[in-house]
Amino acid sequence: MEKLRLLLDVYGNRFIFLLILLCAGIGTYATALPPTVVKGRITDTAGNALAGATILVKGTRTGTSTNENGEFSIQTPKAAGVLVISYTGFTSREVSFSGDATLDIRLSAADNRQSDIVVVGYGTQKKGDLTAPITSVNMDDVDKRTTATPMDALQGSVPGVQVISNGSPGTSPEVRIRGIGSFNNENPLYVVDGMFVTDIGFLNSDDIADISVLKDASGAAIYGVEAANGVVLITTKKGRLNMKTRVTYNGYVGIQVPTHKVKMANGQQFTNYALQWQDAADSGSIRQSANLYGGAGLAPTTSTDWYKQILRSSAPITNQAIDVQGGSDKIAYTLGGNYLYQGGIMQYQNSFQRYNIRFSMDVRAFSWLKLGITTTVSNSVTFYPNNAAWETAFTASPLFPVYDSANNPSAFPIKFANSALIGRTDANAVAQARYNYNQYKQIQVLPGVYGELYLWHNRITLRSQLSEYYTSGLATNYAQQVNLGPGSTNTTPSMLTSSQDRNTNYILDNLVTYRDGLGRHHWSVLLGQSSRSDRYRVTTVQAQNVPAQQQFWYVTNYTRDPSYYSDNGTYNTSLSYFTRGTYDFDNKYLLTATFRKDGSSKYQQKWGDFPSLGVGWVISKEDFLKNVPGLDFLKLRGSWGKLGNDGVTPNAGYAIVNSGNAYSGIFGSTGSQNGQYVPGYQVNNFYSNVSWEVVTEWDGGIDFELLKHRLKGSADYYNRATNGAALNESFPFGAPAIYGNFADMTNKGFDFALSWGDRIGKLGYLISANASTLKNTVTKIGSISNIMGGVFGWAAEYPNIIQPGLPINSFYGYKTAGIYQTQQEIDADPVAVAANKSVPGSVQPGFFKYADLNHNGVRDAGDETNLGSYLPKVTYGFNISVSYRQFDFSVAAQGVAGNKILNLNRGEFQKATSSINLDQKFMEHLWTGPGSTNMYPSAYALSQPWNKEDGGGSFFVESGAYLRIQNIQLGYNFKLGTNNPVGLRVFVTADRPFIFTKYSGFTPEISGIGYDNQVYPVTASYSFGVKATF
Amino acid sequence: MRTYKSILLLASLLLASCSKFLDHPVENLAPETTIDYTNLSLMYQPVSGAYKAVTRGGFAFWVPTFMKTSQSDDIIPETGYSEVNTLINNGVSGSAIASFWALDNMWVNYYAPIITCNGALAELAKFGANIPSGDAADQQQLLRYQAEVRCLAAIGHFYLCRSWGNIPILGPSSIYPSDLDTVHITPMANVRQYIMDEANFCIANLEAVAPNKATHVGGLTKYTALMLKAKTALDIAGSDNGSPYWDTVLDCTNQIMNSGQFSLYPDYYELFKIPGKLCDESILEFQYSDFGSTTGNIVTSGEDATGSQWANLFLFQAPNNSWGGLINGPGWLVPSDNAYNFLVARGDAQRIKLTFERCGVNGNPGTYAVTPDGDTVSGNVAGAKYFNGKAYTPTSESNGTSGYYGSNNNVRVWRYAETLLMNAEALIRKGQNGDAPLNMVRARVGLAPLTNATLQQLMDERRAELICEWWGERFNDLVRTDQAATVFSGFVKGESEFWPIPTTEIALDKNLQ
Repeated sequence: MEKLRLLLDVYGNRFIFLLILLCAGIGTYATALPPTVVKGRITDTAGNALAGATILVKGTRTGTSTNENGEFSIQTPKAAGVLVISYTGFTSREVSFSGDATLDIRLSAADNRQSDIVVVGYGTQKKGDLTAPITSVNMDDVDKRTTATPMDALQGSVPGVQVISNGSPGTSPEVRIRGIGSFNNENPLYVVDGMFVTDIGFLNSDDIADISVLKDASGAAIYGVEAANGVVLITTKKGRLNMKTRVTYNGYVGIQVPTHKVKMANGQQFTNYALQWQDAADSGSIRQSANLYGGAGLAPTTSTDWYKQILRSSAPITNQAIDVQGGSDKIAYTLGGNYLYQGGIMQYQNSFQRYNIRFSMDVRAFSWLKLGITTTVSNSVTFYPNNAAWETAFTASPLFPVYDSANNPSAFPIKFANSALIGRTDANAVAQARYNYNQYKQIQVLPGVYGELYLWHNRITLRSQLSEYYTSGLATNYAQQVNLGPGSTNTTPSMLTSSQDRNTNYILDNLVTYRDGLGRHHWSVLLGQSSRSDRYRVTTVQAQNVPAQQQFWYVTNYTRDPSYYSDNGTYNTSLSYFTRGTYDFDNKYLLTATFRKDGSSKYQQKWGDFPSLGVGWVISKEDFLKNVPGLDFLKLRGSWGKLGNDGVTPNAGYAIVNSGNAYSGIFGSTGSQNGQYVPGYQVNNFYSNVSWEVVTEWDGGIDFELLKHRLKGSADYYNRATNGAALNESFPFGAPAIYGNFADMTNKGFDFALSWGDRIGKLGYLISANASTLKNTVTKIGSISNIMGGVFGWAAEYPNIIQPGLPINSFYGYKTAGIYQTQQEIDADPVAVAANKSVPGSVQPGFFKYADLNHNGVRDAGDETNLGSYLPKVTYGFNISVSYRQFDFSVAAQGVAGNKILNLNRGEFQKATSSINLDQKFMEHLWTGPGSTNMYPSAYALSQPWNKEDGGGSFFVESGAYLRIQNIQLGYNFKLGTNNPVGLRVFVTADRPFIFTKYSGFTPEISGIGYDNQVYPVTASYSFGVKATF
Repeated sequence: MRTYKSILLLASLLLASCSKFLDHPVENLAPETTIDYTNLSLMYQPVSGAYKAVTRGGFAFWVPTFMKTSQSDDIIPETGYSEVNTLINNGVSGSAIASFWALDNMWVNYYAPIITCNGALAELAKFGANIPSGDAADQQQLLRYQAEVRCLAAIGHFYLCRSWGNIPILGPSSIYPSDLDTVHITPMANVRQYIMDEANFCIANLEAVAPNKATHVGGLTKYTALMLKAKTALDIAGSDNGSPYWDTVLDCTNQIMNSGQFSLYPDYYELFKIPGKLCDESILEFQYSDFGSTTGNIVTSGEDATGSQWANLFLFQAPNNSWGGLINGPGWLVPSDNAYNFLVARGDAQRIKLTFERCGVNGNPGTYAVTPDGDTVSGNVAGAKYFNGKAYTPTSESNGTSGYYGSNNNVRVWRYAETLLMNAEALIRKGQNGDAPLNMVRARVGLAPLTNATLQQLMDERRAELICEWWGERFNDLVRTDQAATVFSGFVKGESEFWPIPTTEIALDKNLQ
């Protein structure tokens, strides 16, 4: 509350002052006018209000436009006359009036969708007037998807937007809009009813009335320093004035099942393979398995399928939503609630459930004043899985059982088997999944209040909105006391980690919108000011020896450790001023210009300017194209602008003095005394002044509608250049890295969308497709030539590289050029000869052959090269929907191409001192003799350094391309009852039922930078649902 | 039109006055600290910070340790890194290992503390500016502190030079990013001369006591600096009996021996265990602590509790022991049969007892052995027969089981025994009798005295005394006596003596090409 008071103190006074001054200004202007007043409401033929329609008194320069309810009021010096009413996409009408009058005017559509209202930043625009490639998502299609989070439902439906799902219950997908322009933060900005959030996983698809995706600078620059990764605008459902009460129920129940399962090698196959490692550790472990668990000698009979052990055959998913909307002449409201449960396909505790309550009310207090409140409350409980079990399931030997009470008597509380008994270090995947309790409870509240003032016959709207985003989370991680064996001393005490976090973010927006027109000229001006404060805090405590019952899960009474305490937080404020002007002549020549000045407390250089300009030319309105048969609409667009990304670590920009125990030496550690700290400090003079990253984006596009609006499409070329991307620049000698705005990169590509829809009698159909291409290139990384990286723990074995000229984080390593088939082949290859000379026998038949890229006759660092990028070159989706009488049927598919995945599950042998398991496909294709394969190495090869020292390289980098049938739905619509009939729809849905990919792992959907390791697979789900409206 | 004017007016008002809202320090970052340079009681703080950089992470980090140790035939690396197991252990160098990450890790773990030391020197200068010109005591103390820091940096350069030959010298100015651009590679001879010069400054200004009697107990003293100078001179002299540097070796070691500050620790078995910490034999030791507590902060050469304790010098050498408990680790750096047989042939029982702890019976899984301190250690599927007793801290000497293998033990770097052996070598090289210092070392481990010891006998004694330690003496000795190519299959004279500069470093700095 203190924050709120502060905001109001600082801004409240000034804002009230603004209102008073504006009212006074309008007041004096208004009293000078003569008295004839014509009021009215303009709707389409169905009675839906048309906002922004222009009304002009014929023969004068007097005009106005309608408000969002389609209402207008115009004062004219003439006692009688004719009003010309026009609205893009609708046929203009002339209506005469005489004296004060109230008119109800209906316009009929000019048979296209260019009149649709699209939500843009801080306002709305007609689709036909847009100069930016803004995609308004079809919410009907979104509703068909049975996903736990709304962004998952957008997968494959918006060109230029890549969505990477995660199978872990309740986990939001990764979303990238037009590539990656930052090393820091690639998430788009989500704006929910005016409030900035980083993720919309707390919303249910049913809460959402509208989603707009702002992809280019002309659309997004109004969000300034937040907009560099694109903006997703979400409007929650709202009632309308004079709306009959409508109750909607929407629900489904379904099951999720694993797809594209990887078959692991069985015990027999593994034994054959492991023996070929020709290593005492391997044969010893195999003998031991036969001794303990059955079999004889080197032929054990145990064959544990670890995947099967941790995988459920199915898991439930259900979503139940109810929504009530209505409105009187003064008040409109909506009230909704929903419940979602998603189980996990991993065994044991992992699931997601969420309850949402949503309420909004808009009050038309006076004809010139509207007030409203909106509140969304989301309450969720997530149990996170232990994803390490996936990795173990892949790599663990099948030669030991899940449970083993006979040989592992120390195991407690469950008699899990321990691989140490057969001399291995594999974890027990089932124990990993079972001994995992990782709960996150979160409440998220999104309240907002606004007031809107209409002045000068609705030409001017003043709006003030205060929004809050409050979240409170409690993470509880409890590791019970266990002994995994084999020794009795291996007991791990129980450990409770409890973490509380909260976000308290506020935004206060003040907006003035002026919309007017004269003759065929139309213009609008938006002036806005916004202030923001974001506060985050997280406190973590840990204790040991906490009893297993949940009632005792508090840290206080147990063995606390001071070093297990952490308290962290951030507090940032920002202040922004922005303006947008739009102008069009006859809806033919379009111009949009925006400018935002953003100030942030995070950096020394506080202020940044973000301009944009967009132009459009509706060529189809030109005389020379007017009568071209089949050409209904054709528009050319172009835009330029600058966007910012402040997802950069805040920076204080001074030399750091590090002091305290962590920077103090130990002295006096002798045979009789314990060493003690002597206070010390270190100075770090390596720093820079960091600021946000700036993206400059060009976009050129074309929109068209042909053949009686049946064929529609658009195409865009985009070019986004990030300047001053912040990254850690390393220095030689292990000197501290400097975080600064050193790098540049570009993202270029095309977005396409095309659809064909028609109706033949009772058969309606629509085929649509979209695709986008991406070329990401790092163009500069400061003064250094490259940065090697990778995933934690494997950066040495499977590195990636950031290097000018390549896509960000490209896989890097040796390129395999087949397999040595014979000794003659080895003797003929100078690279192999050189290796065998320094360590005899290091290259043998069945081993990888590496391309000698620098032609120096040895395998060395100069042979390492770019092995491809995890970023898809193409993402695409298509959709076919058919309706016949009361039935409808749709199929949606999506896919990516041109990306690479590093199969780290397969690649883990690199660090292993003895054999680890492999998938059956790998195992069955291993090289067994000359001519058997020129792709897979021999089993023995995998044990040998030649194939292990950063080895394999390109062999483990696979194509990540896939095509997936994303959604199939069959629905039947009917009505029940005659008086106030209930509209009913029943539907069966298959989500993600089929996937087509050559990738050898479980799922080609890999979040992050493309390393497949510990990835929770995405499931298919099959469900049945009902939607009822009355 | 008045309306527009009003709006514009207001907009400019808002713009003008609200920026206070943005002016607050960035949350949760280190605050701007001011150090009171006039308060001379704080003057040791940057020095303590430099010790931290050298000892935690730094010179005793696990990665440089296995890199240097694996260059010896006393050790089978068994590291899980085939570059080490096959290439480095066989004496292979050059482009085959240039991009190996651990090579870069070692480079970084030696150079980064040197940069911290240089930062500390800059801090000391700021304190120094506040010492009145007549205040001789504080002036002397400033020089002493500077010498401690410069000696740490010189030791870093010494080991870098041993592993890489021609290396860049990071002098006192290398504390700003712009300074690093000007760094260039210095020929090995000049680097060694630089180390000698630094050592001379340190010898003149450090305390003339053994480290265990220093003001800051265990810190560097005059004798550490003398040892550094002696070792550098020994490297320069190499195998050339006529080299004048043998006089330097002799002079420096004589000074240490004549100081009366040092003696050999009588119980050789306990020398590397808790009782032997900072004993009278210690010339350079890195210090750690668990503060006598079973829980909480434990400071190791890996890092402190907030860092990775796993990365300490001892843990990765712990045996792979299915009996579990504290005596359990990945079982890397296994003492070799070659080394064992060498000691057996010499009848070196005490050295075998200290160094060769057993993993079960001949390393066979399912069998057990008990150490002299009562820890049960099993065999393992890898069949490693031994684990390094010089890295072994018994459970009975550890504070509880929640610690780490080797926690609370110090890392022994330079011992007086080596001083005696260097003295003996200098004497023998100069054609004099080296029996006296040599036999002191032999007597301690119960070996009969030698008469008119030969150079080979001396070199064998060096190998035996320093067997399985981590500072690269065995490899260095083989190289300087020209035996490396005989012992290591991949060793190519003129190529394998030094490692290539890591490719990562070259990518960061073209001057290193």
